[in-house]
Amino acid sequence: MDTSQAAPFIQFLIAIAIAWGSIYIGRLLSKGGSQGNLNKTRGKDSYPASFELPGALPEQELSTSVEEYFNHPAFSASQASQSYLSQSLNMIETHNLSKTFISKKKGKRSVVEAVKQINFSVARGEIFGLLGPNGAGKTTTMRMLATLVTPTRGTAAISGWDLSAHPKEIRRDIGYVSQVGGMQRETTGRENLLLQAKLYGMSNFEAKARVEELLTLLDLRAFADRKTGTYSGGQRRIFDLASGIVHKPKLLFLDEPSTGLDPQNRAHVWEQVKKMHDEGTTIFVTTHYLEEADALCDRVAIVDEGTIVAIGTPEELKRQIAGDIISLEFETPLLAEEVLALLGSSAFIVETKKENTSVHLYVDKGNENLPMIMSTLHKKGIISTSVALSRPTLDDVFLKLTGHSIRENQQ
Amino acid sequence: MKNSTFRDTLLIGKNELLNQLRSPMWLFFGLFQPIVYLALFSPFLKGIADTPGFPMSSAIQFFAPGMIIMNVLFGSAFAGFGLIAQLRSGFIERIRVTPVSRLAIVLGFVFRSPVVLIVQSSILVVIAALFFGLKVSVPGALLLLPLLIIIGITMASLSFTLGLIVKDEGALAGITNFFTLPLFLLAGVMLPVTFAPKFIQNIAKYNPFTYAVDASRSLVNGIFDDKAIWIAFIVFFILGILTLNWFIRTMRSAVA
Repeated sequence: MDTSQAAPFIQFLIAIAIAWGSIYIGRLLSKGGSQGNLNKTRGKDSYPASFELPGALPEQELSTSVEEYFNHPAFSASQASQSYLSQSLNMIETHNLSKTFISKKKGKRSVVEAVKQINFSVARGEIFGLLGPNGAGKTTTMRMLATLVTPTRGTAAISGWDLSAHPKEIRRDIGYVSQVGGMQRETTGRENLLLQAKLYGMSNFEAKARVEELLTLLDLRAFADRKTGTYSGGQRRIFDLASGIVHKPKLLFLDEPSTGLDPQNRAHVWEQVKKMHDEGTTIFVTTHYLEEADALCDRVAIVDEGTIVAIGTPEELKRQIAGDIISLEFETPLLAEEVLALLGSSAFIVETKKENTSVHLYVDKGNENLPMIMSTLHKKGIISTSVALSRPTLDDVFLKLTGHSIRENQQ
Repeated sequence: MKNSTFRDTLLIGKNELLNQLRSPMWLFFGLFQPIVYLALFSPFLKGIADTPGFPMSSAIQFFAPGMIIMNVLFGSAFAGFGLIAQLRSGFIERIRVTPVSRLAIVLGFVFRSPVVLIVQSSILVVIAALFFGLKVSVPGALLLLPLLIIIGITMASLSFTLGLIVKDEGALAGITNFFTLPLFLLAGVMLPVTFAPKFIQNIAKYNPFTYAVDASRSLVNGIFDDKAIWIAFIVFFILGILTLNWFIRTMRSAVA
């Protein structure tokens, strides 16, 4: 065709390129060059003005222990923006970390506050569990801390590095294993690990040596040379873990490491996690298996609807629930109601909760009081279909704090 | 332990290429369409090759260079499909959490398309020359290669970016067909644009692929003083930088 007519088209394209280029350069200059478009809203200037150096803290705060003093968000906020904090500080510190997702569906704009101003810290060497039902904001919190999602508001320091200013340094220090793992199915487990090692900057030689080490450590040699697509769920999960620790991270993020596995494989996965922990790795794990968290985590935070409702050691949290729990089940909800009215005022019962046809009684010394309850029921001629006396679990803590069971929201 | 953008780009690019080589069907299926066109459509053009105003000496000299561009357009415009699968498997996330620079990730993924396209285009030219009697200017064909590379980068970046945004194969297929088919038809691959009514010619003037097809035709036929050649290079160079940049930005921002 006649190309001499093309001139306006070329001019148009060049104009776009120049306009775009000048906007880009202008933005670079106004940012001071180095950060580019990465941190539009989360630079140093985004800290609330009221946060000042620790010296300006109120007096009663200053009189607390040294550890609490260092944990104060004002400290991390003012320091983290500069650069590296000393090794003695926490592995993770968050300050009002929040994430709001805005989605547009069929023209309707919906705002979902996935994480609302979360504050917590994780000490070096801890196994820290983030518990909660699906959709509570666990994964979003973890993905923010792992530099995969940028927080809407708030800040965090990982391994002493400020999240928004030093993502690259943080990535060197952390390992992250997502729920799906991320293995390429068409390549062997060994090839997957080799690639991962090289992505962390290892030479061919170093990568090979490290992968051999891992295959031995995690007992993976038997199936290392098969395509990962042929692995069983348990085998794949251990390989996922291996890919997370290829570079010996200081902090390992595990998102639901044992979901979808049978009890035997779950135990095996946790065994390997403990092995990593014994080597000095800080572990940050999300799970909705509360029994596992209870058994394995040093400290847990319970999240529901984007906020932390409780934080502490599993023992501390369970201690919030007085004594023991006696659970009685009846044939009809009406009968349960009646029993509640009958027993509710007894002195040894601290708290009661009714769920459909069952009644949960929080009592002191359950073993002594159970016979009394049973005889009261017997006198009235009420027969319960099942009786259970149990120590409080984290699920009870969750039920008490949120008013619903963690299992209701599952699936 | 050392990361450099260049090294990481090669690392990811090599991994992508090896994955592609594991399923050799891509070569066959990629070339199936242009070869069928050469065999079953170019004979139709024989009758009109003598029409006044037909740009080239014979039907195959006109049609085969267009097929090369068509193969590049469709070959790279569907690159995003692989990315969606990898997004779902968590592989992208696994890479994003490593200290590898975002630029290296993007270049590593884009890397594959031009390599595959060069291999495919070379095979296509050889087949056209051996079985369909295409006369090829070797220096022209060599000069065509860099153009194919930048077109491949442009279209692949566009497809990857759209893939990252829509995250769904069905939606991506719809969008891709929506823009590739008009681009293809208006580029004058099948029939000369000069045969079309004036308003089609006016629209075709704004289709970058029109210049790519004209450039390919001129270069394969050994005509070097066609303005379309440098227009195609400039246009796709600019578009390539724009789309690559868009891809990098999308990769940098949250990929949920």
